[in-house]
Amino acid sequence: MSELEDSPSLSNVAFDDLVVGARLGPFREHVGAGDAGRLRGAIGEPDAVSVAPPAVYPVLFLKALRRAMGGIPSGSVLAKQELEFHGELPVDRDVEITTWVSDRYVRRDRPYVVIDFDVRAADGGASVVTGRKIIIWPTGPGERQ
Amino acid sequence: MPELDFPAIGDTVTQDTIDAYAELSGDFNPLHVDLEAALASEFGGIIAHGPIALQAFFRSATTWLDVEAMPRGSEVQVTYRHPVRPGDRIVCRVRDLRTEDGRIHLDAECVNQDDVPVLSVRASFAADA
Repeated sequence: MSELEDSPSLSNVAFDDLVVGARLGPFREHVGAGDAGRLRGAIGEPDAVSVAPPAVYPVLFLKALRRAMGGIPSGSVLAKQELEFHGELPVDRDVEITTWVSDRYVRRDRPYVVIDFDVRAADGGASVVTGRKIIIWPTGPGERQ
Repeated sequence: MPELDFPAIGDTVTQDTIDAYAELSGDFNPLHVDLEAALASEFGGIIAHGPIALQAFFRSATTWLDVEAMPRGSEVQVTYRHPVRPGDRIVCRVRDLRTEDGRIHLDAECVNQDDVPVLSVRASFAADA
């Protein structure tokens, strides 16, 4: 069962406080047919699904990010995203997501943070998707909100 | 899978779309759901979560491949280029398609109603997908 609701919705983790390489999780999430179906066609419109459509995984990344960071970094902007699909996930299953900051850097005066994700079927199951997000962080070096 | 068959499936993004995505993902970043905060930001208004625009690619690609889920071994790299705002209509089109080393390589971009690219995608799939 997801503990997402127990995580604050927003965080103000500073760029300087991010630890590169520290693994966070695994965070357990349930991929239900209802929510997965609302990610198959037009966002939010119910649809019938038997396996998780691809849009489920960016959502799982966001849920893991929120739990790992104590909230979604307020004012952050997604710059890039990568996904590698390793297998299908039937709906109404649990997954476990591990995430870590793999890099952080400043380019053209903007702070970028690279966050990696590993989504696996729960309880030691197979890898389903790996991926990463490159985020323009809301605070740069030396800044705090 | 000739390039011309890549379907241009798209939707108009509304604040309801953004609110639904926030509920599904737990991402209530003020840039997406707080008009006052978004107006004060560098964007000057609400912008959609990036993956909302990516949905145009996912829908087109899964329809083109005739699958529900991306086939094992698929890789998708996305660069977000321009903010998507409520009222924007997003569709995805193929820029380049080739087969190399037993894989289909596809470059695509999703554009808004003004033909402005909002994201670009580089994807590859097993050729027998």
